[in-house]
Amino acid sequence: MKTHWTIAYKESAQMLRSQRGLLWVLAFSGLLSSFSLLLVSNTELSLLDNAQVVYMMSGTVLAAGALLAAILGSDAYAGEKERGTLVPLLCAPVSVTALLTGKALGMLTAWGVMFAVATPYLWTVGASGQNLGAALFYLALFGTPVVLGFGYLAMTVSARTGSVLASLLSTITLLMLAASPLLIGPGLRGTTIGRALDAVNPFAGALNTFDSVIIDSEPFSAQFARLLLVVVWLGLCLLAARRSAAHPNFQ
Amino acid sequence: MKKWKDILLVMVTMVLLAAASSAAEAPLILDLHPDDNNPSAPVMGDQLRFWSTIINTGADPIEGLVAWISLVEIDPGNEQPVELEDWSAHKAVTGAALKPGVSLRTDWPMRLIKGGDYRVVVSVTDRGSHTVFTSPTIQFNVRQKPVLQAGRVLPVAAGVPLLIIGLMVFNKTRQRRKKAQV
Repeated sequence: MKTHWTIAYKESAQMLRSQRGLLWVLAFSGLLSSFSLLLVSNTELSLLDNAQVVYMMSGTVLAAGALLAAILGSDAYAGEKERGTLVPLLCAPVSVTALLTGKALGMLTAWGVMFAVATPYLWTVGASGQNLGAALFYLALFGTPVVLGFGYLAMTVSARTGSVLASLLSTITLLMLAASPLLIGPGLRGTTIGRALDAVNPFAGALNTFDSVIIDSEPFSAQFARLLLVVVWLGLCLLAARRSAAHPNFQ
Repeated sequence: MKKWKDILLVMVTMVLLAAASSAAEAPLILDLHPDDNNPSAPVMGDQLRFWSTIINTGADPIEGLVAWISLVEIDPGNEQPVELEDWSAHKAVTGAALKPGVSLRTDWPMRLIKGGDYRVVVSVTDRGSHTVFTSPTIQFNVRQKPVLQAGRVLPVAAGVPLLIIGLMVFNKTRQRRKKAQV
């Protein structure tokens, strides 16, 4: 088995077999359950259009996925260092690329598990409405690069600082800023600064795509610019992670 | 008494003449009508389409024309303008130019997000004039429907966490058995 697959298997097992990983999955399903129950128990919210609810839930899934990637990415190098396993790992015949790829595949598995857990919830709230299939497709297409990008970014900070806490704090702060379109209304985002942030924010790009395809039923051709934005985001984060992973902080 | 009646008649006539004169000066005609295929009793989630026609009836071209659609909720006690963000991706036509005698026909698709009584209107202005022209309004009612089915949400909301808890218990039991075997 290739080295990166071995690392990926180990990382994935932490998510799927360990109580710690399953606890996260349970917390995530609890979040989606609460969200769904809130929707049906509140008269005003229960009258929301299906597409609107699927859009809101897709944004929540994306935010939770990016949060998990930030946590796993923060642990990737600094966690190994704090546990005293980084030096033995780097002394082993494992290339920087294999280590990075293995950890990224682990994150991808975690995201896949979250996606699988989210699917029945999206079905329950969106099956009688429109564009449920499109919602799932675009959540995978746009969510994966956004989530992986945050994971790579966390790995970058993790390798640079050698501190899980510093990496978590900085990455989650950035994630909160990026995910702010989930909280602020379209009116505020309509300002010049809001539009400028939307133009460079991959999270906003993904959310705007969800809005566009789920609610407005717009075609794939209308999503090219935003797809480019999230792909560039992923590429830049990958490059940064590669550079930092080549010279991790041992101090 | 007759004198007062005459004065009133003159005043009404003056007001009507002024209105007619103002209408005559309007350099464009703006019309709005619903699409023939619109559902007669729309429900939340339905699509409606409206068509506006702007005709330049003046002698000069209209430059920098801006036309936009507005929606107002008129439910008693809940009268308010509606933010069209989720209702329509096509909210305005900007920068168009209309030569004299030329018309611009635009469709305004709209997805019905919330139940209630609404009025829709298209407004038009241009770069040169200081006036906003409005079309006739169209009123419609959107019937509410419960879009989320509690019967479907509850089993999933309770079932998925229970399934994961079951997986955790199974996992823990298997780990204990392995340890016991070792």
